[in-house]
Amino acid sequence: MGAASVTEALIVRGLDKTFAKPAVRELDLTVHPGELYALLGPNGAGKTTTLRMVAGLTKPDKGSISIFGIDALADPAAAKAVTAWAPDEAMIYDRLTPLEYLEFVAGLWNVEPRHAKARAGELLETLGLASEARRRCEGFSRGMKQKVALAGALIHDPRLLILDEPLTGLDAASARLVKDMLQARVDAGGTVILTTHILEVAERMADRIGIIAGGRLLAEGTLDALRAHAGKTGAGQGGGDTLEDVFLQLTADGAPA
Amino acid sequence: MSLLRPGGVPWLLAHEMRLSFRALTGKRAMGGVGAMIGLAILALVMLSGGVVIGLALRKLDVPVIPLSAAIALACCATAFTLMLSQTLAAASEALYERGDLDLLFSSPIAPRTVLLVRAMGVATGVLTVFLIFVTPLLGPAVILGHPEWLGLFGVLAALALLATATGLTLAMFLFRLIGPRRTRTVAQVLAALTGAAFFLVSQVRTLMGERASESLFQSLAREAAEGRMKIPPIGYWPLKAMLGEPLPLLAMLAIGAASFTLAALSLGKRFADAAAATQGAEASAAKPAKGRDRAFAGGVFAATLAKELRLILRDASLLSQVLLRVLYLVPTAVILSRNAGHGDGGAALAGGAGVVVFLAGQVAGSLAWITLSAEESPDLLAVSPAATRSLRRAKLAAALLPVALLLAVPLGLLLWLAPVTALWTALGAGLSAWACGLINVWHQKPGKRADFKRRRGSSWFATLAEVVVSALLAVTTGLAVAGFAPWATIPLACAGLAMLALRRSDEQIAKVLRLA
Repeated sequence: MGAASVTEALIVRGLDKTFAKPAVRELDLTVHPGELYALLGPNGAGKTTTLRMVAGLTKPDKGSISIFGIDALADPAAAKAVTAWAPDEAMIYDRLTPLEYLEFVAGLWNVEPRHAKARAGELLETLGLASEARRRCEGFSRGMKQKVALAGALIHDPRLLILDEPLTGLDAASARLVKDMLQARVDAGGTVILTTHILEVAERMADRIGIIAGGRLLAEGTLDALRAHAGKTGAGQGGGDTLEDVFLQLTADGAPA
Repeated sequence: MSLLRPGGVPWLLAHEMRLSFRALTGKRAMGGVGAMIGLAILALVMLSGGVVIGLALRKLDVPVIPLSAAIALACCATAFTLMLSQTLAAASEALYERGDLDLLFSSPIAPRTVLLVRAMGVATGVLTVFLIFVTPLLGPAVILGHPEWLGLFGVLAALALLATATGLTLAMFLFRLIGPRRTRTVAQVLAALTGAAFFLVSQVRTLMGERASESLFQSLAREAAEGRMKIPPIGYWPLKAMLGEPLPLLAMLAIGAASFTLAALSLGKRFADAAAATQGAEASAAKPAKGRDRAFAGGVFAATLAKELRLILRDASLLSQVLLRVLYLVPTAVILSRNAGHGDGGAALAGGAGVVVFLAGQVAGSLAWITLSAEESPDLLAVSPAATRSLRRAKLAAALLPVALLLAVPLGLLLWLAPVTALWTALGAGLSAWACGLINVWHQKPGKRADFKRRRGSSWFATLAEVVVSALLAVTTGLAVAGFAPWATIPLACAGLAMLALRRSDEQIAKVLRLA
């Protein structure tokens, strides 16, 4: 890795993972600091496997992962200290209250207790959960649980936030709230990587988009760059120019046989 | 299946049986094979015992007298109590375990059909458990000269039906009385206590003392022999039914079937309403804490310990199961305190100390399985920078702390009565709890908290290792208390060697967990 690459939020090179069949193949990915990167792809494309490898949950068969210059495979604890991961199924405990959950997560990331408590209050307030802070999560709706999990992901103020389908199960108001929070985070210099099946979200929010299918990155760049890329491969010949058109064109072309 | 009319009881029953069968056969191959081998060995041992019993009872003619009728009644009461503890738990769980309940209740199938089939499943399950134990023991006696004793199986079927009806009615009554929030907890505790009652009654000799219990049994036998024991005619039915007399057997089966049908059909609608009411009931159970504004725990160890203790304390099912195991300590505690108080009974003291050490290990092992293997959010821990060792230490501490608290009072009392015994017992119990906790660290097998009751999720190897090591440490403690401290080093060394053999490195643990 060259000196310039040290400043990148995430650099993935030659990532490979095979379960019963190849899930991710020779994947290269670069995410710049302070950008919102959307990773899109059809079901089973390898998005979640890729993100799980970046988060340190799945060990790649081959390749390298660098997070803010830290070799995530050689020093996972250092990489995890600056990263947060929120999957589509909220990782929470039904018998804990949101406040107790945040206390536990802050403990895992060794956040100073007084600071953690203040931050927990702020996050729950922002996410509209302040009134539920001392109620056990067992009766919460899926959307509320998602918000608690998101608060957990933000409690240690991560430099890199990785979200897998963050808007699943959220109502319109909550979805807007989360989108605004993510945008504010990016505006403040944070880096966000997310996967979503809601292409409008990626179209509106993402600085750059990566499209993955069959475990391979088919295209990457801004929406304009993707349009241009798709144009070269045949999109636009009778198709429109929305992200949906581009996505369908690219994934149809690049889908494995 | 196509021969059965869709929506009818046989059709739904066939569906339930198919699901149950697939749940049984869908287990992992290795666990299934291990369980089958274990069951086959157990069946063979029991069958051998059954043949011996059968040969011994070949010429025996059971007399229909008050004493034998009283024994038959006591056996029925015991079997019914044990069955009721299972059916009550199963009936309350049926309300909360949604599974396909929403699908069934949203279909045009009558709620009473659904309950009838569920109740049949409960009754069959309870009866099967008893048949598994009774058949190999009494089957040979039936074949070797007492075909009329087949009536016993009919009596068991009648009791299973009656216990299911009572369990269902009791669950519905509790639901009406205390609402959906508390029914599950109360039913679980009641079921556990009902089961434990049988154990405590079986320990009457221990609890009452040898002399008092012997004089009680002697006076009962004398009353029977002198013809003073009066049993009403209906009290002879169980004995006569067991001995194959058609009329009492049919009467008992009719009572069982009638109460079962009545309960299942009359409670069907209520069951549907109650099942609907349980949805979200636990949400309202979560009352907000009042005005507590304490500081956050700092660091991985403190935060994890606090989280684990909270989860243990808030799990009513887990607590009732742990308390049940503690209840089994009562007779032992009585022996210990009685003998320690009298300053005699060295052997009983040693045995009692051994039992405490063994149970401390078992409870600690169970809690360690909960905290270590039944982690609800393993990915959260995996993505955090927290060192695995810190997490494990905190989880182990969370498993050992309740054991220490449970033992504190009885050991404190014993310290006052027999200080040396108390010290050996405390040392042994601490070592046993710690060893069983460590076994669960080394041999983790991810599972769900809900599987705690039967330890279905845990590794059978770890469970066996816990039993062996805690038994060795129990023997160690017993020998030390009995004054054979040098001999105690032998089982202690064996336990140490076993622990060395069981030990796994961090890499080995991580590798196994990755494959799990």
